[in-house]
Amino acid sequence: MRAGILRSPSPLPGFGLSFGIMMTVLSIVVLLPIAALLGRGLMIGPADLWDMLNSRRIWSALTLSFRAALIASLFNLVFGLMLAWVLVRYRFWGRRFIDAAVDLPFALPTAVAGIALTALYAPNGVFGQALAPLGLQVAYTEVGIWVALVFIGLPFVVRTVQPVIEELEPDLEEVSATLGARRIYTLRRVILPTLTPALLTGFALALARSVGEYGSVIFIAGNIPNLTEIAPLLIVIRLEEYNYDAAAAIGIAMLVISFAMLLAINAIQVWSRRRIGNV
Amino acid sequence: MNIEIEELAKEFGTERALHPVSLSIPSGALIALLGPSGSGKTTLLRILAGLEFPTSGRVLFGGQDATGLSVQERRAGFVFQQYALFKHMTVFENIAYGLRARKRHERPTEAEIGRRVNRLLELIQLPEIGTRYPNQLSGGQRQRVALARALAIEPRMLLLDEPFGALDAKVRKELRQGLREIHDRTGLTTVFVTHDQEEAMELADLVVVMSMGRIEQVGKPAEIRAKPASDFVRAFTAA
Amino acid sequence: MSDIALTRPVPVTSEPPLARYLLIGFAVVFVTLFLFAPLLTVFAEALRQGWAGALDALRLPDAQAAIRMTLTIAAIAVPINAAFGIAAAWAITKFDFRGKAFLITLIDLPFSVSPVVAGLMLVLLFGANSTLGGWLIANDMPIVFAFPGILLATLFITFPFVAREIIPVMMEQGRAEEEAALTLGASGWRTFFTVTLPNIRWALLYGVLLCNARAMGEFGAVAVVSGKIRGETATMPTMIEMFYNEYLSVAAFTLAAVLAMLALLTLLLKSLLEWRHADLLAATRRH
Repeated sequence: MRAGILRSPSPLPGFGLSFGIMMTVLSIVVLLPIAALLGRGLMIGPADLWDMLNSRRIWSALTLSFRAALIASLFNLVFGLMLAWVLVRYRFWGRRFIDAAVDLPFALPTAVAGIALTALYAPNGVFGQALAPLGLQVAYTEVGIWVALVFIGLPFVVRTVQPVIEELEPDLEEVSATLGARRIYTLRRVILPTLTPALLTGFALALARSVGEYGSVIFIAGNIPNLTEIAPLLIVIRLEEYNYDAAAAIGIAMLVISFAMLLAINAIQVWSRRRIGNV
Repeated sequence: MNIEIEELAKEFGTERALHPVSLSIPSGALIALLGPSGSGKTTLLRILAGLEFPTSGRVLFGGQDATGLSVQERRAGFVFQQYALFKHMTVFENIAYGLRARKRHERPTEAEIGRRVNRLLELIQLPEIGTRYPNQLSGGQRQRVALARALAIEPRMLLLDEPFGALDAKVRKELRQGLREIHDRTGLTTVFVTHDQEEAMELADLVVVMSMGRIEQVGKPAEIRAKPASDFVRAFTAA
Repeated sequence: MSDIALTRPVPVTSEPPLARYLLIGFAVVFVTLFLFAPLLTVFAEALRQGWAGALDALRLPDAQAAIRMTLTIAAIAVPINAAFGIAAAWAITKFDFRGKAFLITLIDLPFSVSPVVAGLMLVLLFGANSTLGGWLIANDMPIVFAFPGILLATLFITFPFVAREIIPVMMEQGRAEEEAALTLGASGWRTFFTVTLPNIRWALLYGVLLCNARAMGEFGAVAVVSGKIRGETATMPTMIEMFYNEYLSVAAFTLAAVLAMLALLTLLLKSLLEWRHADLLAATRRH
């Protein structure tokens, strides 16, 4: 790893030191733990791994985690876009306040969000009481999980799309109007396609975060096996039973899902760069 | 179609972009709005297009008051300085955009749209590029595609904002000729904005020299050269 | 001259007024229901038995131990991540070497790993059932269910925060200024402290802010590795869970309110940074 072999020469000093610190921390904090999980998986072997995963309870938990994350992220895709649009394009009293509040889910600890949402939507909570006459129960049902994941994922979509809306050239909208297009047609055919890469990236980020979310969900979910038990909780349960192999199996399944989504995000970025050509 | 501009003024807050100006543009003419930046020439062009609304005054298209018409209703073909091509659409889709944006009962059939787009591609002498995306085109090609897109809506006039501003000197000369030819073939009243006096003098039938939101002089290139109406015009056109 | 256009036309690049008002109304209602309501609930529940109840909750020994634990963890984890972030940014932006893109992906990796899976990894690596863990415990250096485990879990979760804020800024600034300083005879460290650091200080502060918020609030990963031993390994978020499950609602929400205030402070500082130094953070915002 000496200079000149792997890297091109540079007059600046400190490569050895900075590279060394980076690799040391990276190895201890990230790489070794991941290796431990994957190593455990190899020791168990694919066949046993599959046997362990192939139970109704785990299957329900994994599909629930994925389905709820998908629903919440789709919701955020639509409403996050609208929110980002309003925050960039309109001037109104309290705009900055709302803009700052969008980051609340980033800053508020997930456990805090979890108990707060539960108190709000529980049958005796403010929202819970308001929704009860409509026959809607949120807390301790899958809907509760959606609500928690909407909370967690919202800033990802808004913060990814916002800068792109800010940098939209007004020319594009104006030329569309001079060509006779009504506003709604311009929004659909010009603005939306331009925002699509950012929207997809924000959606994927929200999805990746929601699939593995734990803290905000477990309080409101009710955690009924096969119904409202999310995959991360199942890992925790297996660990509490000292069943490390079973926990590792679910962990690997989730890691694979995470990697797949990471790849998807990268693919979207490459695709959009090629398509729109804004390098 | 002739264009009448009557006592048109525009303020942005306390800033006066345009003092009341009046101008009449004969049907089928090729007009240059010439002036330095901040002279109000682009504001005037944008008001004609309906992209900006005057603080006071009127605009008449073919004798009819068009001041209150929305951009969409004006049918003014507009070419932006940076062309504003839709990057996510092919050249064909770009040119067809205005036709497809029409309400269903006014919209031509797909076959008709195809015919028209191909005719326009031939007019700009780029018949082969329909399937390409804008970022695969040269600057000069982009300019011509933007022109074809503006022509596709069968505009009542053609408005161009610094149409050659983003091009290098050699391409600029070629395209000037191209614009002249397209103007002569379509017979459209054409107004373009430029800060380049040579470009204005060489290309336009009538040159409108502007400064600080006022019209300094209107005349044929030769007249302006021979009898500049003010010191500003003399200095600005003596290059 | 006629008075035309008195009905002010809609600007071409905007929506009709009605649509505009509806969208603004939607934004306000949406943010109120989904963001403000939960936040207010935290404080309302904490004060359910008045200020006295909340203060009593803060005096509980378990609560105080948890607060101390959380502060200690953040005080150690944040500087480590800041140092790592600076080192990583220096290596990545000032030098060209192979595999750089892959390295950046690795740094971002913890963003897409579930906190619980992160905790699981540490348990598998350092737990009593692993070779390494067994040896460490035998030598009286337990990691899982002990302080080091919580620290590692927090480091994993907050890992990309600082690096990801300063790498784009340093990338944008290039190498010319550092090279100029070197030609003027400055040493490497001097160049770093007098040229590089002033250029990245706001981005660094921004990253540290986000890193700190997450470090204090991390729940899933810490819950798994800490064993949640009261008075010993419980952090504020895990203590909140324990209070909550024991129906000590006021205690749970009081601790939550402390964390919520911290979150609000973070947001305030973050907004101030963004308004004051928008230009210097611009590279980050564009991703």
